[in-house]
Amino acid sequence: MAGRHPMENRWSRRQFIGRAAGGAIAVPSLAAILAACAKPGTTESGGGSAAAVGLARPDNPVELPLNGDPIAASTPIEEGATLQVYNWDAYMYKKVLKAFEEEYGVTIEWTTFNNMEEGIQKLVSGQIQPDVFFPTTDYIARLVESDLIQPLNLELVPNLASNVWQSFSDPGPFYDLGARYTVPYTIYTTGVAYRRDRVDDADASAQGYDLLWNPDYTGEIAYYDSYRDAIGMALVRNGVMDPNTGDPASITAAKDSILEIINDLDGQLRINGTFAKLPEGEFTVSQSWSGDIVGAKWYLPKGTGEDVLGYWYPEGEPGLIGNDTIVIPTTAQSPRLAHEFLNFFLDEQWGYTNFADWNGYQPPFTTIDPDSLIADGVVAPQLNKAVVTEEMFTTGLVQSQLAPEVDQLWLDAWSEIQAGG
Amino acid sequence: MASAEATAEPQGGKRSREDQAAGRGGAWFPRWYWPTFTLPGTLWLVLLFILPFYTVLSVAFGTVEPLFRTPLPVYQPWYWSFGTFDTTLEKFYVSPAIYQEPLIRTFAYVFAASAICLVVGYAVAYYTARYAGKFRVPILLMLVAPFFISYLMRIYAWQSLLQPGGYVDDIWGIFAEPVNWLSGKPVTVILGLVYGYIPFMILPLYGSLDRIEQSMLEAGRDLGASPFHTFRRVTLPLSKPAILAGLVIVSLPMFGDYYTNDLLGSQNTSMLGNLINLAVFQPGQGQEAGSLTIVLMLIVVIPMGYYLRETRRAAERA
Repeated sequence: MAGRHPMENRWSRRQFIGRAAGGAIAVPSLAAILAACAKPGTTESGGGSAAAVGLARPDNPVELPLNGDPIAASTPIEEGATLQVYNWDAYMYKKVLKAFEEEYGVTIEWTTFNNMEEGIQKLVSGQIQPDVFFPTTDYIARLVESDLIQPLNLELVPNLASNVWQSFSDPGPFYDLGARYTVPYTIYTTGVAYRRDRVDDADASAQGYDLLWNPDYTGEIAYYDSYRDAIGMALVRNGVMDPNTGDPASITAAKDSILEIINDLDGQLRINGTFAKLPEGEFTVSQSWSGDIVGAKWYLPKGTGEDVLGYWYPEGEPGLIGNDTIVIPTTAQSPRLAHEFLNFFLDEQWGYTNFADWNGYQPPFTTIDPDSLIADGVVAPQLNKAVVTEEMFTTGLVQSQLAPEVDQLWLDAWSEIQAGG
Repeated sequence: MASAEATAEPQGGKRSREDQAAGRGGAWFPRWYWPTFTLPGTLWLVLLFILPFYTVLSVAFGTVEPLFRTPLPVYQPWYWSFGTFDTTLEKFYVSPAIYQEPLIRTFAYVFAASAICLVVGYAVAYYTARYAGKFRVPILLMLVAPFFISYLMRIYAWQSLLQPGGYVDDIWGIFAEPVNWLSGKPVTVILGLVYGYIPFMILPLYGSLDRIEQSMLEAGRDLGASPFHTFRRVTLPLSKPAILAGLVIVSLPMFGDYYTNDLLGSQNTSMLGNLINLAVFQPGQGQEAGSLTIVLMLIVVIPMGYYLRETRRAAERA
């Protein structure tokens, strides 16, 4: 998933202000200026990662080349170190971070980015040199190609094999066979959230994606303000079951569908539509990541029950699905401690606390039983479709890396949408 | 000054004729002394304007890093390429011209909002300067008070007021069908702009109206002009520089404003600033963001140039 991220929803207003105020082109470092003294472009080795390993797809899994060896299992844990964690804002529970600090006697330095492009840009330029980083899956191959992340020693992350769905370690996810560089962080589906006090469940199931294109909800429709997710769902709704398509006609049709929401149905592109404004009642239907609707209960006004929140996700046909990852950058100062950190968040107990008490986004743990999530009140009973299971991944539609020229088609369509068509 | 005379006069020593003519007197200072006074200003201009602007040019005419498609500025003009700049320009006038509407909108909104600022601001400034009496200071304080709260915070407050089920809706609902004010209504964005920038219009107008001598107005009345005519022939011309200054101060930032529309409008009301903001945050669009910035800059140079010309003329007349 490129562009904005599920967890951006967790922005408080204050954080939004920070972002809006700081939203400027990063001033290049002196090193960048000096580097630019050479004829531009000649110092770059690139040419697109497609050339190196091919674009990773669920039906074309890639094994990433190894950049050197992982650290040895015998490496001592860096004592009293400061672990620099570079993550989406508010994507981790402070209490769990504190527990890690106490257990290892270290300090965590928490640095955040607001969208993937910002995160990547600062990592590439070396402005931030973190020990742990949280990229989306479509960036993994490129990070390896540019030697920005290091291979993992999975002996030091035993929880991956013991606690996480087997598909994530053996054979490993399609974007990183053998889990050479990544461990999964959270998993989510993308469906449609609706107000059950205004739309009944049977009606919602019958409508499916068309909930978002229903004139009855004119002025009460929210759609994500993120190009991959927005165009991706419009494609699927139009029957194009490939959220990475490079077909110009399909992309144009998807663009027109989104413009229909904006222009004819008075819909709005909002990143906080599902988690904040739907519970507040401003919207009746909204495009929704599963973690958003699970977390929406925290935003219900007093006196409104959790049972007004509904979530539709296709049954019997594939839907949009994805996951986030944790990696260790090449520049990590404390790589051994970073491995411990990965293992800690894949721990049955701490990973679950992070999800249930704070995050709303589910980790892919074998120990998490969908029924118990509902019984324990983590997920409301009527939101059962927001629980992600391993089987969903076998048929699910995954947004993955686009070839540069295809990406440009998507971005051009997105510019047109943003310009108001 | 004849050159023979100038060379005959030894540099330094005594006060030169030039200095005398310019009324500069007192102790002798070396040649470089007075120009150094401009150093802080020059430094400021170079560091905070010329360098950043050069970087914008370098991004716009530069390239992208091939792997992550982050902008790669090119600092040597001889390597600059203008391809992206051209395609960006074409988006304004070559079909499907997707940037044409935002451009027209930007002008329309800025024009409307500046006009409202002027009319409302003039009335407030006029009242405060002329009739407020002992309430003058409280009124001015009230005008400045909103600045103690972040602009974005205040716009968030408007969001709550304007959203469906908000107070505005409640009151409006008494008289007419409810309106979804936040679903991309030009009027909401224009009023948002007015709200954000009107104090910058009122303050210079107040300063100017306050300085107009009462005797001038009395003279106008004595000579038989009606109150309206006095206003039109005396007050208005005397406040013209302030009107121009106010219009420039409010309209220039409005041209680049994106957050008002981000928070109160939708894609239906996108302005140029929104397009720039979007391009900055999308992969591979850095050059386009730079190109749009240059376009915006060329646009705002026009009112600025007019303002400078007018003020110079006014100075010459004076």
